[in-house]
Amino acid sequence: MPTINLRGAQKNYGVNSANAVSNLDLEIRDGEFMCLLGPSGCGKTTTLRMIAGLENLSGGEIRIGDRVVDSIFDGVFVPPEKREMGLVFQSYALWPHLTIERNTDFGLRLRKLPKAEREARVEKVMQALDIAKYRDRYPSQLSGGQQQRVALARMLAVNPGVLLLDEPLSNLDARLRLEMRAELKRLHKEFKTTIVFVTHDQWEAMTLATTIAVMNEGTLQQMGTPNDIYDRPANRFVAEFVGSPPINILSFDKKGTSDVAKEAEAYLSARYPSLRGIGSVGIRPEALSYATRKEDVPQGSFSGKMVVTGILPTGGSWILELKSDSHTLFLTTHALPRLELGEKVRFWAPPEALHVFDKDGQRIAEADKLLRSTKLN
Amino acid sequence: MAFLSDSAKAPPAASGEAAVPSSWQVWRYRLKVASREPTTLIGVLTALLFTYLIVVPIISIVLDAVRVQFGHERRLGKDFGDLTPYYLDRTFLSPVSVDLFWRPLFNTLTVAVGAILLSLLIGTILAWLISRTDMFGRRWFATALIVPYMLPAWTFALAWTTLFKNRTVGGQPGWFEALGWTPPDWVAYGRFPITIILALHYTPFVILLFGSALRRFDSQLEDSARILGAKRYQVAMQIILPLMRPALMSSMILIFAKCLGEFGVPYVLGLPVKFEVLSTSLFRSIASRQTGVAGVVAASIMLIGIITLMIDARLVREARRFVTIGSKGSMNRQSRLGKLRLPATGFAATIFMLSVGLPLLTLFLSTIMKLPAQFTLDNFTLDYWIGQDLHTVALQTGVLLSPDLWAAAKNTLMIVGLASLASGILGLLVGYVVIRTPVRALSVYLRQVTFLPYLVPGIAFAAAYLSLFAVPRGPMPALYGTVTILVLALMADQMPYASRAGISAMTQLGKDPEEAAQIAGAGWFRRMMSIVIPIQKGSLVTGVLLPFISGIKGLSLFVILAVPSTDVLTTYSLRLVDYHYTQAANAVVLIIAAIAYLGTLAAQKLTKTNLAEGLGS
Repeated sequence: MPTINLRGAQKNYGVNSANAVSNLDLEIRDGEFMCLLGPSGCGKTTTLRMIAGLENLSGGEIRIGDRVVDSIFDGVFVPPEKREMGLVFQSYALWPHLTIERNTDFGLRLRKLPKAEREARVEKVMQALDIAKYRDRYPSQLSGGQQQRVALARMLAVNPGVLLLDEPLSNLDARLRLEMRAELKRLHKEFKTTIVFVTHDQWEAMTLATTIAVMNEGTLQQMGTPNDIYDRPANRFVAEFVGSPPINILSFDKKGTSDVAKEAEAYLSARYPSLRGIGSVGIRPEALSYATRKEDVPQGSFSGKMVVTGILPTGGSWILELKSDSHTLFLTTHALPRLELGEKVRFWAPPEALHVFDKDGQRIAEADKLLRSTKLN
Repeated sequence: MAFLSDSAKAPPAASGEAAVPSSWQVWRYRLKVASREPTTLIGVLTALLFTYLIVVPIISIVLDAVRVQFGHERRLGKDFGDLTPYYLDRTFLSPVSVDLFWRPLFNTLTVAVGAILLSLLIGTILAWLISRTDMFGRRWFATALIVPYMLPAWTFALAWTTLFKNRTVGGQPGWFEALGWTPPDWVAYGRFPITIILALHYTPFVILLFGSALRRFDSQLEDSARILGAKRYQVAMQIILPLMRPALMSSMILIFAKCLGEFGVPYVLGLPVKFEVLSTSLFRSIASRQTGVAGVVAASIMLIGIITLMIDARLVREARRFVTIGSKGSMNRQSRLGKLRLPATGFAATIFMLSVGLPLLTLFLSTIMKLPAQFTLDNFTLDYWIGQDLHTVALQTGVLLSPDLWAAAKNTLMIVGLASLASGILGLLVGYVVIRTPVRALSVYLRQVTFLPYLVPGIAFAAAYLSLFAVPRGPMPALYGTVTILVLALMADQMPYASRAGISAMTQLGKDPEEAAQIAGAGWFRRMMSIVIPIQKGSLVTGVLLPFISGIKGLSLFVILAVPSTDVLTTYSLRLVDYHYTQAANAVVLIIAAIAYLGTLAAQKLTKTNLAEGLGS
């Protein structure tokens, strides 16, 4: 399938309501596995439905390759049934009155393929998804995971150029979800389909996607590889949305400044005087380390003294809650912490672990280079 | 990936940069989207159809009320169709206004209030016994006590006359008269029997509405009050009753609205003593060609109906506030009746006997007895059902062998069948359009216009049809006396139930199955045929069956719009009543009751729902 292009796509549900999606530019390339990631209500499902043609635009246009499929300016609207896409609904939307086989066969019948070919393709996709043994059952007789695979099979059978998935794993239990993630990744390789996947689950996005588009309040926040999104969040929203436990934010605002933030401000202005207009600094919990003795803290790192107020085992790692007079930090460690509650420790982070944002919450790109050039000893 | 290198850059700030489409472009695009599928077209067509079938007749009768009617030109010194206050004046202010409007209004109100009070008294007790106590045979009573509502109301009226008819009226005497006791007129006819019968007929409303509210009631609310030291009666008065108020009010108002349009019972029981209610007054005005006055009376009935149901809608809205209180902790706690267990069961059984057993038994016995109340073997006969060569002026065969019955039955099946088929299908279509069309105004209009007949009692609606279709208008020929007008009127009258069923079915279905088919490549027609209709098969059957049942036992529409050639079972039996062929009339009513009852049972079986959902149909 050629590249799908959204240009200035916009959607509002009524004259006076806020935009569900505003001025969205998005490019989805052939063979890509793209995740639309964001909190609920951020417009990601609406975006998916606009691509499918189930939602009309309120502004902008959508192209597939050179062909305009949806445009207010040109007065063009290609209905969903003519867009040759696949969409797996969050509710699966299996047709309750048709057997599993007929559900899978539905699209092929519409395309008036010869019977032999239809049967072969249904067989192949049912085998691939391990649902052949349920062929004569009705959807209500299957479990959630089985239904989910039928919903996938139904779409894969017609071999769509792009497969759209609307939180298809959210109704499954944890174990099944893991299996289906692996399954999806395998299918993406096997069928070489472009996949657009909507989720609010950051781990799902991280593990599956080749590209992640983070959305919030109807606008695109950042688009990039999973590593990009995690390591170099474009703004504070992305930084705070991705990562668990969430990133520690030290805000330099006049009102919200804490003692730790003041130390960070002093640290940065002393070492990198060229950096100006800093609004806040973020440090991921796993980028923080702790030391009980001052000499264990590397020279040139950002550090401070705090009190251990909580040790939370998560199995395999521990989350430490550290408190100063006016700030709380979270720190993740993979070695058993030999600490007592109330004990004083020093936390430290290398300068390149600091994410520096301006007063509008946007990442200051120059800071990255500066901070990375510093060597610790 | 293009964004690998510069992903750290935030995208340009939203809005402001995108080209804003001109309003012409927006409209062109919307038109394109709306015209892509027949949904909107169907919506527009059905909207036009229902405007013509529902709105126009109502406007027409309201106009009749204020315009010079045919034959009054000379007296009023104006031309036919000119505006005149004459009919308003005649109905509301003239010396005859008392007979035309005010006394019927008074009678309607007193009968309704009496029926409401009586049915509330009986209904609340029964509802409580059924849903919250350990009375014997609760489950059986839960169904049995609803039966009166499945039977046509005037079944009871006929049973009553069979028992209490006195020498005031000719024909076969009632059983008591035949046994030597002449019931006084106030027992035999008029306000007293009408009130009793309507109360018994509508008690199931209270049992259903109040009972379901009781069952949903959260026992924890009761328990909390008890724990704080409240006594049983304090709990009842301060906790349960206030929370039950919406359900009680709602059933009161529904009963009132139903009484307003009730025709059969006051017709059978009121006429002998000239006891008139609004519906019979309207009928008389129509029968005597007083179309102007009929218009005023019909419009008044509509107005009262609309006001009542608007109050109800308001109450329902308020009742929603209470619903949030109910928690998942709600459970059905039973009170032990102890010593009262047997008397309570006796009470329920008595009400059942009075409202179902006795009337049906009386009617049945009356059809196999030559002389009333003479229980000797030689007095029993099956002649009235299957006899031949009887020595009577008309109806020389038993009713089952009479061609008239079968003609009426055929008419009924055809007219009611056609109308319910049409309204069932239209209901689903309306539901589809209301839920799916991107044109919001269309959706709102369709929803409201199809609900409109609900606010208009059947008899007033029939009068409206008569007013509009009695004469040729435009391309439409005069329809009075045809099957068409009956089918159309019945269809329009059933639309509230049909469209509500359709809307709720489509809401339940949701968009997903259809959108999935759309994604798979199915166009509109294909989606309807292979997805929507097969899934909605069940509700389509209900949508046809429920109007069919209520059409079979319906009287008020037919009595105004039917003529002898379009006789249906109800009008046929009514005419037999008029001719004093008591046995035959009762036999026909029993047949209707049997069809209505069995049909309701079938509908319940098919849809696995309780009657409560079809309430009011």
